[in-house]
Amino acid sequence: MKEQEYPRARVDCLVREFGDEVLVYDQQRNVGHCLNSTAAAAWKLCDGKRSTSEVTKTLAQQLSAPVDEAIVVLALEQLAAARLLLESEAPVRRTSRRTAIRTIGIAGVIALPLVTSLVAPTPARAASCLANGRPCVSNAQCCSRRCGVRSGHCHR
Amino acid sequence: MQRLYSLVVAEGGQRAGVRRMQILYADSLRIARDTELDQVLAALETDLHRYVAEASPNMTFLHAGVVGWQGRAILLPGHSLSGKTTLVREMLRLGATYYSDEFAVVDDSGNVHPFTRPLGIREDATYSQTKYTAETLGAISGVKPLPLGVVAICKYKAGARWKPASLSNGHGALELMGNSIAVRNRPRHTLQRIQKLVRGAVFVKGTRGEAPESAASILNLLNSDNRRGRA
Repeated sequence: MKEQEYPRARVDCLVREFGDEVLVYDQQRNVGHCLNSTAAAAWKLCDGKRSTSEVTKTLAQQLSAPVDEAIVVLALEQLAAARLLLESEAPVRRTSRRTAIRTIGIAGVIALPLVTSLVAPTPARAASCLANGRPCVSNAQCCSRRCGVRSGHCHR
Repeated sequence: MQRLYSLVVAEGGQRAGVRRMQILYADSLRIARDTELDQVLAALETDLHRYVAEASPNMTFLHAGVVGWQGRAILLPGHSLSGKTTLVREMLRLGATYYSDEFAVVDDSGNVHPFTRPLGIREDATYSQTKYTAETLGAISGVKPLPLGVVAICKYKAGARWKPASLSNGHGALELMGNSIAVRNRPRHTLQRIQKLVRGAVFVKGTRGEAPESAASILNLLNSDNRRGRA
């Protein structure tokens, strides 16, 4: 229980800041995540020493604005789902975005946390596909996603 | 040398019941086999482009159409069959400069370089492409690297109206990462260059209908952005 109350951010990801947003690239899973300002601020405070309440308090001090603990719980939920927290230290409480909005009210001072994730493409998926009849070696190369095993050509 | 291509060209005359194959290898992997040499050479070109995009240490390649407009680059990222070339072609018709219909090539400063292969316009349901140079379409090809102005992430849907939503820089950068050829191999360099690339850029995302409406609207975004910058 103690572990779960003291969330800790993973430190093995690549991190780039874009204004108050943060782009995190998980090299183990090849997934990129965009953390909006609130999620990014909460994530940075997850050092394994602060409890959820302390993260909430520190966040309020940093933003000079009242922060409801439901916002931090929602942020931690999303960060845990994106596997950006050490797994055993994810919070046990569950709250939905809808519940958080109900608790906080839609006129909250800070933005609701949001973590958007995208799987990084393989080179074959990221390049233009081949027309039917063109030589191929894998399904991923073909626009039809069908590369004939015997013919070695894309087909319908 | 990092990659060796070998082309085995079939020799000898026609014999009944025998198909003479031209075979292309990249290192030890067979990547094309066809009776037509043109098909095999087209496969060589495709593989070379992809390999350069994947292996280039000094540039990051994003899968995107690119045009130059008012001294800035407009990026149209998207996967195959998303209509990049159609939109690029329409923008060329409206006076934009051709940079690429396949890759945005980004350097360490975040500038976009031309990759001016002929536009591959898909003609029918077989996805086959006909190649046109920008010049045959009445446009000119860019030479100088450009700073980024606008990124428009479009999805085609017949009859849709183009009413794009704005994206933040962080979300825009995530979208660009999703169109990066080598992010899995070189994530650090890719993210560094994307970070430099997106400074000051405008991001929009939406569903578009026919190209003329959305192309004009996207070019106009840069016009209005320039006006704001000068004000």
